[in-house]
This record gives sequence, structure tokens and C-alpha cells, in this order.
Amino acid sequence: MEVFEWIRFIIGTAVLLCGLVIFVIEIYGIFHLRYVLNRMHAAAMGDTLGISISLIGLMIFSGLNFTTLKMALIIVFLWCASPVSSHLIARLEVSTNERLKKYCETELELTGNGEMVVLSKKDKPETERIG
Amino acid sequence: MVVTGELTALEAAYRTVYVGALIFLALMIFLCLIRAVKGPSIADRIVAVNMMGTMVMVIIAILALMLKEGYLVDICLIYAMISFLAVVVLTKVYMGVYSEKQHSKRGERNGSV
Repeated sequence: MEVFEWIRFIIGTAVLLCGLVIFVIEIYGIFHLRYVLNRMHAAAMGDTLGISISLIGLMIFSGLNFTTLKMALIIVFLWCASPVSSHLIARLEVSTNERLKKYCETELELTGNGEMVVLSKKDKPETERIG
Repeated sequence: MVVTGELTALEAAYRTVYVGALIFLALMIFLCLIRAVKGPSIADRIVAVNMMGTMVMVIIAILALMLKEGYLVDICLIYAMISFLAVVVLTKVYMGVYSEKQHSKRGERNGSV
């Protein structure tokens, strides 16, 4: 029966490595993108996909017992919590950054009475990137 | 289990994978720390702290299997909840700091603080 143990080991290692690769992509995105609202895309990917795949690999290692159930609970909790925290961080950035238009190229603008209008070319602020 | 204390081939392989993943995640956390120190805005730092929390969760789950202590997974779940709570509290605090600063600025402009 040791062959089955080895097969389980190989499958679990492959899935765990996939999760670690997702973390590498996350770090690359965090350093590559220029603005925090763009960086949050990369960070949210690691929060949901990266930890899900890593914990599924660890579930395959641990077999069918109570530990597996707890790991599934962690994944489900992060599915609910990660979008909420992303939303809070984005709202913090949008409401505290006074020069938001300088960093985001916007096509639409919210007018005073709540309508979206398309900016013409000359109204667009010049885009400047921060390091 | 071998009586002499040496690991079987399967156990040695498991241990290699666990230790390799732990070292790799430690490097990742270090890179997140660089982002948290460098990040120009407050939101950058909070995002980096959130990422570090995620990676620490994976480390705790790996340790739970490596040391064969099932209760460490409970700690992992608590860690997830506390890191979510940290993000909520930090955003609320900085929102409050910002609005207070705006308020005092407006007061100075009107000549009465």
C-alpha cells in the first residue's frame, strides 16, 4: 500500500507548489503595479486563490479527518472576509486621496447631481505615475 | 517507524517539502515587509500587512501538519479572524485621523480653532 502513500504525497506536493507559485505572482504584481488600487488586484488574488490552493494541498497531505474540516473553514472564512477588507481599503484610499485623478486615468466623472458624464479629451488631467 | 530513530523515505520526503515551503514563505513575508516599509500611502501598508497575514496562515497550517499538532489549525482560524479585524480597525482609525485633520484645517482657514 506504500505506493498509494507516495501517490498522495506527489499530488499534494504538486498542489502545494501551485499555491506557492500563486504567491510568487502576487509578490510580482505588488512590486510591478504602480498605484495602490491596481496593487489590490494582486493582493486579493493571493488572499483567496493562493491560500485556497495551498490549503487544499495540505488537506491532501492530512487525509480525511477533523483538521481537513478546519482548513476548509479557513478557506470559506477568507472568501467572505477578503472582499470586505478590500472594499474598506479601497474606500479609505478613494476618500483620503485628494489627487486621485492624477493617479487614475478616468473616462467618466460623477457630476453634482449624481450622473456619470464622459470627460472630453481636454478635460482629462495629465497622468503622472508615482514610484 | 524505524527503531533507530532514522526517518523512512516517505517521512524524509514529507519533511523536505514542509521545510522547503516554510523557507520559501519566509522569503515571501520578507518581500511583503519591504513593500510595507516602502509603500507611499497608508493603503499600501495595510494591503501589505494583509498579505503578510495570509502567508503566516499558510505557515501555521504547514506547522500543524509537520509537528502533528491538530490544534494549531484552530490558531490559524483565529489568526484569520484577527487579521480581518485589524484591517477593519486600521481603516476606521485612519479615516478618523483624516477627517480630524480636515476639520482642523478648515478651522484654521476660518481663523477660529
